[in-house]
Amino acid sequence: MQASRARLFKEYKEVQREKSADPDIQLVCDDSNIFKWTALIKGPSETPYEGGVFQLAFSVPEQYPLQPPQVRFLTKIFHPNVHFKTGEICLDILKNAWSPAWTLQSVCRAIIALMAHPEPDSPLNCDSGNLLRSGDVRGFQSMAKMYTRLAAMPKKG
Amino acid sequence: MDSEDDMHDANDVDSYEEDYYSGDAMYSDDDDDAGYEFLHNDSDDSDDVLISRQQKNFTILKEDDIRQRQEDDITRICSVLSVSRDSACMLLRRYNWNVSNVHEAWFANEDKVRKAVGLLDKTTYKPTKARELPCGICFESYLLDKISTAACGHPFCNTCWTAYISTSINDGPGCLTLRCPIPSCGAAVGVDMVNMLTSDEDKTKYQRYLLRSYIEDNRKTKWCPAPGCDCAIEFDLGSGSYDVTCHCSYSFCWNCTEEAHRPVDCETVSKWIMKNSAESENMNWILANSKPCPKCKRPIEKNQGCMHMTCNPPCKYEFCWLCLGQWSDHGERTGGFYACNRYESAKQEGAYDESERRREMAKNSLERYTHYYERWATNQSSRQKALADLHQMQTVHLAKLSEKQCQPETQLKFIIEAWLQIVECRRVLKWTYAYGYYLPEQELAKRQFFEYLQGEAEAGLERLHQCAEKELNTYLNEDGSQDEFNNFRTKLAGLTSVTRNYFENLVRALENGLADVDAHGASSKTSSSKNAAGTSKAKGTKGKGSIRGRTDDSTGWSCDQCTYMNSKNATSCQMCHNSR
Ligand SMILES: [Zn+2]
Ligand SMILES: [Zn+2]
Ligand SMILES: [Zn+2]
Ligand SMILES: [Zn+2]
Ligand SMILES: [Zn+2]
Ligand SMILES: [Zn+2]
Ligand SMILES: [Zn+2]
Repeated sequence: MQASRARLFKEYKEVQREKSADPDIQLVCDDSNIFKWTALIKGPSETPYEGGVFQLAFSVPEQYPLQPPQVRFLTKIFHPNVHFKTGEICLDILKNAWSPAWTLQSVCRAIIALMAHPEPDSPLNCDSGNLLRSGDVRGFQSMAKMYTRLAAMPKKG
Repeated sequence: MDSEDDMHDANDVDSYEEDYYSGDAMYSDDDDDAGYEFLHNDSDDSDDVLISRQQKNFTILKEDDIRQRQEDDITRICSVLSVSRDSACMLLRRYNWNVSNVHEAWFANEDKVRKAVGLLDKTTYKPTKARELPCGICFESYLLDKISTAACGHPFCNTCWTAYISTSINDGPGCLTLRCPIPSCGAAVGVDMVNMLTSDEDKTKYQRYLLRSYIEDNRKTKWCPAPGCDCAIEFDLGSGSYDVTCHCSYSFCWNCTEEAHRPVDCETVSKWIMKNSAESENMNWILANSKPCPKCKRPIEKNQGCMHMTCNPPCKYEFCWLCLGQWSDHGERTGGFYACNRYESAKQEGAYDESERRREMAKNSLERYTHYYERWATNQSSRQKALADLHQMQTVHLAKLSEKQCQPETQLKFIIEAWLQIVECRRVLKWTYAYGYYLPEQELAKRQFFEYLQGEAEAGLERLHQCAEKELNTYLNEDGSQDEFNNFRTKLAGLTSVTRNYFENLVRALENGLADVDAHGASSKTSSSKNAAGTSKAKGTKGKGSIRGRTDDSTGWSCDQCTYMNSKNATSCQMCHNSR
């Protein structure tokens, strides 16, 4: 408990200090609970998510960093490795390939990489996984783009 | 390589009790004991065939043996590859503890192997000049003496290392392939780091996983599946029968790890076990160990091993536990004087219609399965009972009997041998019912041959079991005369031998897929003179002789000594050579 808090506090200070180091990621710690974080990540360019901003919710266990944080998308996203309803993410480093050397920041980077390179063979979203596996890249991209526009872009007033 | 061979020899000594069939196991200690002499005369040359086929093809490894072997293998890799024990351990694990595979891979492409296992050359790591280093997990800075590194040099504080390794150990056997926490690094974290940085409890757990890996990842070894047993069995792959017997006395099939099921093959066994679990609900009532007496309807409990039931006084009705038929009716109709194994004849006789329960079952077309399952399950529990009786005999009764009869315990070994034979035969008989269930109905000749052999074996076993269970009791409880006891000795030893022969025939026949069925069909119809000419194969002679006795049992005679039913024109018993 003490170790995880100390480690999260280090990450917090690092985030404050390096605010502009990675313009695609904005990590924010909950005001009252250092084990709850949110992040805003930019959809990577040359992907159907380009131009969108996606919100992630982190829930950090007391055994952190020996155990991985739980992360899910709060923003709707059409992606084969993200559950369309719950926003759960299927990513090895959040499970058995976790290493205590990862940080919340590096998890965000890994999720951005996953957005750019989906793994259709371990789908949490079967529709989008099937589209990709059947080779219908255009169909997949138009669906993903549509949801990016609907859910991840500021409404033009 | 010498040490490995030495170990085999050492184990040979105390694993002689494995082969009930091998003959020499039964008579290993006192060959010159007068009581066994006729057994030797009785045995034909087929015994020799069995002995050579039953040559031990497995080794029992106790925990110390396993550790020793693992140590030896690690030492071998260390010296041949000039690597640390830590590295040798990881290399062996990677190649499933196969020493020659490690050698081969290493000398073919050392770099590739190093990479796959995560063994870095220490020389690639340049030590730092800094006084303090930041830990890669907690991000605090520490003086160098509080920092440890794997071969890669990535620094982590000792507290974080301990937590990291401990988490992995408590996650399971994956800790054996632990790597540096830096995801892109891949340097192996081996037993040295574990010993340096973790608690005694975690060290023990890690050693446990290492030992388990040595058995479980090795193609030639498996743990004994008996609960509470720590032994492992090394099997010589490609060497005949899979049945092995552990030090704990549990016998199992090395191939499928179900309990030993020779002569029935693994496929049949697994089908049968699946079938049983599918039908288990329907079968529960069968396992109930009490049934109403067919005559007086009072419940009678089966608390003995043999199928011959006698109701309590005043009824005293004698019946067969399996078919609830009158005991004295058991003869050709049911598959033999003492046997009750024929499904078809029982069905034709309408024996099954007596119970309403069974009528229901018949509607569900379970009747056939029920027949085989009941016999399978009954032999199973009968075997359990016999095991308990054997134990009781060894620990209590033998000493008592020795006092009563004024005979040294070594002279009473024939009783233990009888019980060992009963236990083993119950096991074989049990599995032959699974075999029978899957024997295609349309293969009539094979079925008949099989049921004939099974019936012979079963009848022999029932006689033996009854004799060991009931007759022995009289000598335990009252002082019989010396003569009577000696007669009993001859009878029990004779039955043991006879039963052993029957079961050898049965096992042999099933193992070659009942291929001798044609020879059997012909001989059972030919005259006795042709048999006497000795043209047929030696191993069949006993079986053929007994057919003649069987087909004519109204006029045959029952041997006083072994109770074998001989044909009416035989002047001496075909089983034990006792004259009429
Ligand atoms: Zn640390
Ligand atoms: Zn490293
Ligand atoms: Zn065992
Ligand atoms: Zn098997
Ligand atoms: Zn009765
Ligand atoms: Zn019966
Ligand atoms: Zn006889």
